[in-house]
Amino acid sequence: MMDTQLLISGVIFGLSIGSIFFLMAIGLSLCFGLMRIISLDQLLYYSIGAYITYSISLVTGSLWLGALGGMVVAGVISFAVERFIFLRIYERDIAFTMIASFGVLIGGVGVIKSIWGVIPRPVPIPMVTQISILGTEVPFYRLLVVVISLLVYVAIWLFLNRTIIGKAIRAGIEDVEHVEGLGINVYRLFTTTFIIAGTLSGLAGGLHAPLIMVDPQMGLEVMPFVFMVVIIGGLGSIKGTLISAFLVGQVVSLGSLIYAPLAQMAPFAIMLLILLIKPTGLYGSKLLKR
Amino acid sequence: MKLFRWWWGILLAFLLLAVLRFFLPLPFSNEIIIFSIYTMGCSFLLGRVGFISFGQPAYLATGAYATAFYLFYFGTNPYIGILIGILAGLLISLIVGPLFVRLRSDYFALVNLALAVIIFYMLQKVLVDITKGDNGLWFLTNIASTPVLDLSKPNHFYIFAFLVALAVWALYKYLNDTIYGACCLASKINEDKVKFLGYSNFKIRLTAFVIANTTTALAGSMYAIYLGFVSPEMTSAHRAADPVVVTILGGVGTLYGPIVGAIAYTGMKDLISGLIGNWELFIGFLLVFIMLAGEKGIWGTLEPLLKKALFRKNAFKSE
Repeated sequence: MMDTQLLISGVIFGLSIGSIFFLMAIGLSLCFGLMRIISLDQLLYYSIGAYITYSISLVTGSLWLGALGGMVVAGVISFAVERFIFLRIYERDIAFTMIASFGVLIGGVGVIKSIWGVIPRPVPIPMVTQISILGTEVPFYRLLVVVISLLVYVAIWLFLNRTIIGKAIRAGIEDVEHVEGLGINVYRLFTTTFIIAGTLSGLAGGLHAPLIMVDPQMGLEVMPFVFMVVIIGGLGSIKGTLISAFLVGQVVSLGSLIYAPLAQMAPFAIMLLILLIKPTGLYGSKLLKR
Repeated sequence: MKLFRWWWGILLAFLLLAVLRFFLPLPFSNEIIIFSIYTMGCSFLLGRVGFISFGQPAYLATGAYATAFYLFYFGTNPYIGILIGILAGLLISLIVGPLFVRLRSDYFALVNLALAVIIFYMLQKVLVDITKGDNGLWFLTNIASTPVLDLSKPNHFYIFAFLVALAVWALYKYLNDTIYGACCLASKINEDKVKFLGYSNFKIRLTAFVIANTTTALAGSMYAIYLGFVSPEMTSAHRAADPVVVTILGGVGTLYGPIVGAIAYTGMKDLISGLIGNWELFIGFLLVFIMLAGEKGIWGTLEPLLKKALFRKNAFKSE
């Protein structure tokens, strides 16, 4: 039987990793819901966020400044990519946008390799404070990551439910053509959503950087987990993404305590099980058209 | 005469391919043939049934590793190895097929990609005792020479691959012409009407999925025999998009698109990696460029022009 201390630190680890997955998956999920694109380049913004964080925290010594810089740079790059690439191919089949975003991801990894090199680099953890929960020492930073992601969830919820742009985005997820018919410029909504998604991915990279090492392939390493989070939660649903992110985080963390390869295999098994029962994921709506 | 008319397109295409053999280096020709078989399954799924499969490397690796296990641990006959590869592909697509074909097209793409990544992990880490992890399995010396076509020799292998490709194309042309092929297309365009006509969408899609992925597994086992080794690298995420890209480059759903696309894509990749070290950057931008360029692809653009030219010539003759 596992002892309590191991269990508690496992749960905290799972929560923090789930928060990172949530921040990344929310971008994929929103982009799919509104624009019907599978935006694999979110993984690039994640890597860029992490690398900018690494560079800035190396110079200034402050991780928070670095994460902020990472968010801004990721947002700007996502804006440029949306303008120059996606705007031209929104109308086409989903395969085109998916491969174009994959091309951006691969090309971006090449750029990262040529700027920062291929060697993994460590990022210092901003705070080494430990706090004790039920007699277990837990790193304070991991708890902070969880709090930040919950704040982001609340902010996104308020944005989607309380502001007019957010309401337009939600309406667009239901039916884009009707929103267009109301005289709203949907392409501006698309750009807004894409920048939000890119910025959040950058934030996820910045927050994840101290917990792992930054290396050019880091985006591809988290890819399967982010996919599983999005699929289990249901494409286009924010609440489903939050729940499934924490579920996957716990499964990864607790699974690796029991048997190491389980960390990768167990989420996949859960995904297959959920798809067997509900082919659209936990909260994916049936209304979405093919 | 009627039979000849059915065959002439395929024969002409493969005659051109055979002519290319004398101008291009042998490894390149072999690569093209195997790659176009690999792409054919994906092209059928995307063009006929409307499924974007980003998980083709998973089925490729299944076929390749099944062949590799046989040749590494048990036997020496490459033909039996290929047969085992095909059976493994059939088996895995029968297992995952019923689960996957119920999904919508977008979920299908994501789940397939997740499957490819999971198979990559399994080959690299979980089953490391029998797959030897990243080192891969080397069995080139285990392949016995066979009497008629000696697969351990590259030029004999080329003839074998050529014949296999011819058979695969004949099969797909036959499929496209049957009622079943029409059903596939119908279920892509309007699944409700197909249901109304009394066909089962699930069965149509499952059959297409199994056929396409068994073809992919065949390509995998041919890769294994040709290269003489397998490594988890063949299912890595970098190569996940390859078949879909080649499909679109060649022209979605066309019969000869995969060949044209495979020649163009492999050629471009070879040229670029010969000139520039940082290939990832250029492949990435190449993909974006291909996606922006057009929806029809190379063959999709050429085909109407060719038909027009040929048709005009015939009309002239009959006058």
